[in-house]
Amino acid sequence: MKRRYATAILFLALALAAGAVAGASFLSMREPEPIARGPGVSEIRKLSDWFPGLAGGPGDTEVYVLRGEAPGGSMLVLGGTHPNEPAGFLAAVLLVENARVSSGALYVIPRANASAFTHNDPQEAAPQRLHIRTPWGERVFRYGSRATNPLHQWPDPDVYIHASSGQRLSGNETRNLNRGYPGRPDGKLTERVCYGITQLIRKEAVGIAIDLHEASPEYPVNMAVVAHPRAMPVASQVVMGLEMEDIAMRLEPSPVNLRGLTHRELGDHTETLAVLMESPNASQGRLRGRTDEALALTGKDGWYVKAQKLGRLFVPYGEKGHPIEERVGRHLAGIAEFAAAFTREYPDRPLGIEGMPSFEELGEGGLGAFLRRP
Amino acid sequence: MIVYLAITAAVAALAIACLFAEEKPTRQATAAMVVVPLLLRLFLIK
Repeated sequence: MKRRYATAILFLALALAAGAVAGASFLSMREPEPIARGPGVSEIRKLSDWFPGLAGGPGDTEVYVLRGEAPGGSMLVLGGTHPNEPAGFLAAVLLVENARVSSGALYVIPRANASAFTHNDPQEAAPQRLHIRTPWGERVFRYGSRATNPLHQWPDPDVYIHASSGQRLSGNETRNLNRGYPGRPDGKLTERVCYGITQLIRKEAVGIAIDLHEASPEYPVNMAVVAHPRAMPVASQVVMGLEMEDIAMRLEPSPVNLRGLTHRELGDHTETLAVLMESPNASQGRLRGRTDEALALTGKDGWYVKAQKLGRLFVPYGEKGHPIEERVGRHLAGIAEFAAAFTREYPDRPLGIEGMPSFEELGEGGLGAFLRRP
Repeated sequence: MIVYLAITAAVAALAIACLFAEEKPTRQATAAMVVVPLLLRLFLIK
C-alpha cells in the first residue's frame, strides 16, 4: 500500500516538473521579439490607434510608420498574418529596419496577427523559434501558428460563417486572420483585428495594401501575386518587372467566391489596391520530412525533391531548396516593384521607398547582414 | 469559459485520483502524463 502511494507521489512530482518546464516554454512564446527602429521610421503606433476596441488586448500590434519629406501615395505592408510563414514576417522586419521613404508614407505591421505568434500549431512538430546569425550576434524570431491562440479566442464553432458574405468554412477558420476581412467591431478577436486593419486603410487612405504570405510547394497558388481586379494593372506591371529581374512570379486574379481574404475584401470594402504575395515554404507543406528550424530556414527537403521529380509540385524544387533569403528577397523585390508601378500608374501620388536590400544582396550577404541590433 | 475550466479541473482531479488508485506503476505513469496537459489548460498556459 505504502509503495503504491510512494510511486504515485513520484509520478505526480515528475508530471508537475514536466508541466513546469513545458509551461515555461509555452509562456516564453508570449514575449515579443524586439524589432529595431530603422533610420526611416517616423513613429511607432498601435493598431488600437485606429480601432480602440483592440487596446490592451492580445490582438493589438505595432504599426511602424515611415513618412517621406515629400507628399505622395501610401502603402501598407502586412507581415505575420500567418506566423508559420516566416518569410512574410521577416520581410516586414527588414523593411522596418532598413527602408527609408522619400515621398509618400509606408505603414508596416510585422505581426498582423500578434496572438498567433504566442503559440504553435499542435501536432506539426514546428520549431518554436528561428535563430539568424548577424555580424554582431544572433537574432531570434518566433515561429508561431497559422491562427489566433485559442486561449485568446475560444471556442471555435463547428462551422465558421463569414459575416459579410455568409460563406461557410471549417470552424477553426474563425481564428484565421485571412478569412475574417473586412472584420467587425463587435466580432470575435480575429474579426476585430481585421476590422482594425480595415479602419487603418480607410482612415489613412492607403493606396496599396500588400499582404505577405508563404505557401506549401504543393499548393497551386505559389511564387505568385494574387490581385484584386482593381489592382491588376499595377500587379501585371510588377510581375513583368520581376520577370525582367529573373524572379519568376505568377499573377493570379482574386477569386470572387473565396471570401474573407485581404486581396478580395480589402479591395471590395476600401479604396486600396489589395494584393497578396506567396513564396514557397516547405516547413508548412504536407509532403515534408523532418520538420525543424533548418527546414524553415533552408527549405532543403529530400521528399520535396522527389515530389518535384514526380511532377507533384507547382514550384521548381531542387537540392538547394528555397532558402529564407530567397523567399524574403522575393517579397522585398515585389514591394519595390509595387512602389514603382504604383508611382507610374498614379504619378500624382508617388511612392519613393529606398534602402531595402535587393534580391541579390540578400542572396550574397544573407538575412543577418541586414538585421540591426535592437 | 468558467464552465469549461470547471470541467477541466474536475477531469484533472479525477486523473490525479486515478494516479493514487492504480496499483501498477505503468498505469500510474499514464495517469500522470494525462495530468500535464490538463494543468496547462487549467492555468491557461497552453
